[in-house]
Amino acid sequence: MRGFALLSITLLCSIAFVRAQVQTPPASASSSVAGSGGTIHGHVDVPDDRALLPRPSITDVSGPRPRMASRRRVVVYLDAVPRRAFDELPAGRARMDQRGEEFVPHILAITTGTTVDFPNHDTTFHNVFSLSRVRTFDLGRFPPGRTGSVRFDRPGIVPVFCDIHSHMSAYILVFTHPFFAVTDDDGGYEIDGVPAGSYTLMVWSELGTAAPRRVTVADGGTADVDFRVSREP
Amino acid sequence: MPPMVRLPLVGWLTAALFACGAARAAAQPPADPSPMTDAGPPVSIGGDVTATAAPDDAPGYFNHTDYDHDALRLVRARVFGEWRLAAPLSLMGELRVEDISDFSAAALYLRWRPRPSGSLFVQAGRIPPVIGAFARRAYGRDNAVIGEPLAYQYLTSLRADALPATVDDLLRMRGSGWETHYPAGNTSEEPGLPLVAVSRWDTGAEVGWQNERFDLAGAVTQGSPAVPVVRDTNGGWMYSGRAATHLPAGLTIGVSGATGQWLENAALDITPDGRDSPSSQSLVGTDVEFGLGRWLVRGEWLRSAFDLPLAASAPSVLHLTAASGFVEGRYRPHPRWQIGVRAGRITFNDVQPSSPSASPEPWDVPVTRVEGTLGFRVNRQLDLRAGWQENWRTDGRVKRQGYPTASLLFWF
Repeated sequence: MRGFALLSITLLCSIAFVRAQVQTPPASASSSVAGSGGTIHGHVDVPDDRALLPRPSITDVSGPRPRMASRRRVVVYLDAVPRRAFDELPAGRARMDQRGEEFVPHILAITTGTTVDFPNHDTTFHNVFSLSRVRTFDLGRFPPGRTGSVRFDRPGIVPVFCDIHSHMSAYILVFTHPFFAVTDDDGGYEIDGVPAGSYTLMVWSELGTAAPRRVTVADGGTADVDFRVSREP
Repeated sequence: MPPMVRLPLVGWLTAALFACGAARAAAQPPADPSPMTDAGPPVSIGGDVTATAAPDDAPGYFNHTDYDHDALRLVRARVFGEWRLAAPLSLMGELRVEDISDFSAAALYLRWRPRPSGSLFVQAGRIPPVIGAFARRAYGRDNAVIGEPLAYQYLTSLRADALPATVDDLLRMRGSGWETHYPAGNTSEEPGLPLVAVSRWDTGAEVGWQNERFDLAGAVTQGSPAVPVVRDTNGGWMYSGRAATHLPAGLTIGVSGATGQWLENAALDITPDGRDSPSSQSLVGTDVEFGLGRWLVRGEWLRSAFDLPLAASAPSVLHLTAASGFVEGRYRPHPRWQIGVRAGRITFNDVQPSSPSASPEPWDVPVTRVEGTLGFRVNRQLDLRAGWQENWRTDGRVKRQGYPTASLLFWF
């Protein structure tokens, strides 16, 4: 919960900061992206996630045996970036599959304005929904082979579930800027094209929290920042 | 009344087994960090708490259950778990507490799935019912309304441990299933039997196979659809099965059948033919489900036949039938809101009273029930509902009774 609150506050601050920047005389796009920017990379150490267990079904044996979705992947992001520091965010598309009665990927990070497709690659119906205040939606029951889509216009965290299969869950993190990364299987991450400057680097994890880190990025430079996620008490 | 199974020993044993599993899980090396894995902790646990509220059901007792509770005035807590003993083998268990008084190990069985894709499975122990569709979704959020369908909850005047001496004894109990009594066998006043019991599960073994188009399941257990048992009471077996097909349009159609011996030996012993008396319950049924978009529509129909030997008089065996069906729908106008409606009816065949001049009449009183519910999802795990249930009975002490209903469901 603290992680949720922290990210929500951070995202709100980010919006406020970006809005404040928009009200100032905007820098030209060419000047804001003139440099190639720098790179932030590193590794996030995450505690063992053996606590995540698919909810068993006593009465229903249908479908594949639910696998455990690893919660070790985290999202690393800059907490606030001047709006003038990057080009207009394109209205992109992203995808979260339903495969083997799991959402794939389990964590998806996108920018505002992105439409996420939810294709059903299983042989059973699914019913993707979220009750998040950031984006409340219910795609209803849709059959194998069909795809439902949702556009995300507000920043925040959107837990996603299936109304038919209670063991299915995922997260979509929506940012107002493009400077974030989801860690790979080994916990590594890399954020490219970061405008030169000083930032606070944050981590969002299902499993716990990590202290924010200050990082300074030089044009063409590289910053190495590691994190360690501590399990929430 | 059939022996209600309260097995604290089995219950605590179940809890202990899962606790051992959890301890073993904690001692294992760190899990594979890959995004998806079949390895990992061998124990998983879930559960739910349901609280229903309504005015007192007396004196109609339309919602009395064979557990001697009121389905609309009930607090039920369930904790269930799976302990993966080996890759294909799991121990499944459920502990249930109703009204903070009845503690039971509602389920305890081994599930063997030779392949993770799960086309074939074998379950042995105290297993979920095979017949019908509602029985496997009776608890929690899968219920479209708050109450239960008549076939699975409404108590007929039949008892597994008591017998009418004459057909008139049976007819005297029409519409009194919540507290029925007969002169032979156990003469105390006890609840009667529903057509299919969902409060208790039977004991035996099930084999099932399924793919994206078909579900097939067959089981051999000790009781009957109305009288599931843990300890055998009559030496008989129930054979039950269900076949279902999933059509591309979101339509599922299933057919079920079962036959088993429902009367206890203690009751049969007092009949003229003793344990040779016919005492089977046979059941056939069909179920349909259609779900697409915001709509979910289900229907189910069951017909049950009971052989009822009389303690003394001719004809010595009554052949009773009962049929029940329901149609229910759920519509979600908004992610948080849902509307649920169910309409159902249960009917009984005519029997001839002792007096030849009397007209045949149904052996129990037909009932019609309509229920509507408005539901609100506070969050994914907390569901609030409120609605109204109306019941009509063509005869009996109370012919019509309706009440507001409410429920709270929390699951984890």
